[in-house]
Amino acid sequence: MIFDNYTIVMTGIGGQGLISLLQILGDVLMKNGYKVTTAETHGLSQRGGRVVCFLRFGSMLTAPIPLIGTADIIIATEKSCILEVLKYSKPDKSTKLVISTYEEKLINVEYPSEKYLFNVLHENSNNIYLIPATNIAEKLVKNPKTANIVILGYIVRFLPLNEKELENSLIQKFSENILSINLNVFKEGLKLK
Amino acid sequence: MSYNKIVIGKPGTEKFFLGNEAIVRGALESGIDVYTYYPGTPSSEVGEAFMETFKKVGMKWVESSINEKVAMEVAGAAYARGASAMVGMKNVGLNVASDPLFALVTTHPKNKNSALVILVADDPQQHSSAVEMDSRNYLKLFKIPALEPSNPQECLEFTKRAFEISRELKLPVIIRTVTMVSHARSNVIIGKIKQSEIQDDFDLSKEANVASRLYFLKLKEDQIYIRMNRALEMSENSSINKIENENVKNDYELGIITSGVSYSYVREALDFLELKIPILKIGFINPLPAQKIAKFLEHLQQVFVVEENDGYIETQVLAIAQKIGLKVKIHGKDPFAYSKEDSLLPFVGELNPTKIAHALIKITNITPKFDLNLIEGKDYELLGRIPRLCPGCPHRTTGFAIKQATAKIKSKTRKKIYFYQDIGCYTLLAYPPLSFANVKYCMGSSIALAQGVAQINGSLNIAIIGDGTFFHSGISALLNGIYNKAPILVLILDNGWIGMTGQQPHPGSDTRYYKEGFFKQAIKLVEFLQGTGALVSVITHQKSVEQEYETKLEDLIYEKGLDVLENKNLQVIVVRDECIQKIIKRYKPEVRSVNMELCTNCGLCYNQFLCPAIIEKDDSAYIKSTLCLGCGICEEICPNDAIKREDL
Ligand SMILES: Cc1ncc(C[n+]2csc(CCOP(=O)(O)OP(=O)(O)O)c2C)c(N)n1
Ligand code: SF4
Ligand code: SF4
Repeated sequence: MIFDNYTIVMTGIGGQGLISLLQILGDVLMKNGYKVTTAETHGLSQRGGRVVCFLRFGSMLTAPIPLIGTADIIIATEKSCILEVLKYSKPDKSTKLVISTYEEKLINVEYPSEKYLFNVLHENSNNIYLIPATNIAEKLVKNPKTANIVILGYIVRFLPLNEKELENSLIQKFSENILSINLNVFKEGLKLK
Repeated sequence: MSYNKIVIGKPGTEKFFLGNEAIVRGALESGIDVYTYYPGTPSSEVGEAFMETFKKVGMKWVESSINEKVAMEVAGAAYARGASAMVGMKNVGLNVASDPLFALVTTHPKNKNSALVILVADDPQQHSSAVEMDSRNYLKLFKIPALEPSNPQECLEFTKRAFEISRELKLPVIIRTVTMVSHARSNVIIGKIKQSEIQDDFDLSKEANVASRLYFLKLKEDQIYIRMNRALEMSENSSINKIENENVKNDYELGIITSGVSYSYVREALDFLELKIPILKIGFINPLPAQKIAKFLEHLQQVFVVEENDGYIETQVLAIAQKIGLKVKIHGKDPFAYSKEDSLLPFVGELNPTKIAHALIKITNITPKFDLNLIEGKDYELLGRIPRLCPGCPHRTTGFAIKQATAKIKSKTRKKIYFYQDIGCYTLLAYPPLSFANVKYCMGSSIALAQGVAQINGSLNIAIIGDGTFFHSGISALLNGIYNKAPILVLILDNGWIGMTGQQPHPGSDTRYYKEGFFKQAIKLVEFLQGTGALVSVITHQKSVEQEYETKLEDLIYEKGLDVLENKNLQVIVVRDECIQKIIKRYKPEVRSVNMELCTNCGLCYNQFLCPAIIEKDDSAYIKSTLCLGCGICEEICPNDAIKREDL
């Protein structure tokens, strides 16, 4: 597997910690000699709007926004948010879709049905990974805000990074009082099937 | 944080920098003395980083000014005085600062160290702006040199270059970014931080610095025919206007002219189409290197100008081609047509590689690796997620009270009620279910807008303005209303901070308890208002002291609203309730929970009050304890007494 011009698309709801994911991953990739570009496109994201971010790396700097149909991994920290970014999945259905099973429903708006989501996802990819990230975070450390770190742990298997480096970067990033819970869920994410 | 991140680091090492952080580093490597700014996305991180580091790095002065005009004037005078100064703002900030800049740009400081760099961060696609505006159109009006970086590394380099140009020419230089540059992050190689070289000799001789009738025309001649002429020479010879693939021939005899982030999208689109063609990347966007462009065009049959929003470069390329009598076909957005059909690129919204690929396919008829239209043709059921105020946001309570109070006024008087919104977090009250915006323009306009209608009919006109915005540009409109006896109700939502852009301080902020505390003195808003002779009422939300705060606020709005209608008075209500994002830095949230036995699932709290921490679950209201920030208002409004502090 060559990691050149590699594109990760991330989506979710403002406040789910996507920007932290970008920073942690980007920083470690850079230290591993990659040229990394990330971009945050959000409006008033900290307050519940949908967020879309990109992380791209390889031997050269790229544009902050990729072409549609070219993502290698798409991550959604809220299930229905994936719909907005499916256009980035490759026509050959090889893009990995890593989707949290967490649903944030809206008042008086119908949430996309299981069946609809199932069909649409399978139309777009042969590699779908549904991760109960929020459940794990709630059960293990009673803090759903760490769901993003469960996902971080999970995707390590797809990337040219080793867990130790990421762990070190978590140690640098988080203050002492929340470090251990983040390390905890990170390890859980690593272990997930 | 910022200090370790941005200041520490050996020259030559690599950092993972945000575009805005690279700009800060570039300024520090240029010996910056002064930075002034007014916060606005996507420019705010620059000011915040300087605010945090300036004492430690030995800069002379950094301030978050009351508005962009004042920021421009403070930095402008420092520039005249011999400082290497910089001033930062978002797109629309330049509108506010444009008046002084027009004169400032003609002045000709004599101090060797004088330099002024102006950061203007545009926001195509209005990710976080009330309007989409292409500030490059100002460049021709001001006749000011400008550079546009395309990525964080260039943010650092171009900022340094801008200081050099300004220092040499004695003209202010604009650094223009967009969201995808200011908020992109990538590898940046840093250089050496330079110490300030400000000197104490001081030349404010009139000829050099005063734009009055006596001197202005002479200075303007000097600005255009001498200083801008030299800027043009620099632009022609500068390596930041560079040609790639210069001698590469292609079947279409096509070349591309582009700048800024669009350049990176062009590269991406060309790779996708496996097309190699000459690219002229312009970094020096004013004055454009006309001769370099002419030479580039000479070898081509067709050229595609790629830029976001307006056809700023394209119109000039059209003029240059005409001037030298070239028949080259110029593609782009056909800036004279105002027609969607005739343009390959949109005037509206952000560009991306896909849009450029589409246009290139139209020009060349290349069949791409895969069909983009097929992907875009798929339509999914998207959930429209409207941004919401934070859990526990004071504006939610105010909005709720306004709604209740105005409903009562309406039913009592049968008068029409109109709302004038301003710019800030409370703008979100404009969305359903409250839907408070009848008219909304730009920062500071609500109070004057209310006057415009109140002076001509008998409706009740309510201006809703935040404290930050009031200080920024609402004050003069209020004074106008008082002086002209405008019968309006003004609600100043005093949450203590500039909430929307990240809780920065404004002149009324009580910074005592926070890190900003050490060098600011807050202006007493209420005393100030009383001094104007206006009828002022104040209501303060005190945590766990005040009972029935929401009801009192409702009654106050009702009473004062009626007074405006009946007695034609101008009434001001100051609602003092601190931004919860600031409060939680001081207090641990007193998280609430719902007693399911008492809750009748009436939905008032999650359907009408709409705190994002409250949802419906198992036929009852339910509070997500990790989201609740403990404002306590749901406890007060719950008709069934079902909500209480979690720890009780
Ligand atoms: C001319 C201009 N400068 C800056 C901004 C960016 N901006 C948006 S809202 C806002 C201020 C909000 O402060 P305040 O009125 O106190 O409301 P809050 O967000 O705290 O509720 C600013 C500075 C802008 N929109 N226009
Ligand atoms: S106390 Fe109630 S209204 Fe306030 S943040 Fe918590 S759940 Fe929301
Ligand atoms: S930042 Fe402050 S003012 Fe803005 S929505 Fe959040 S709590 Fe309200």
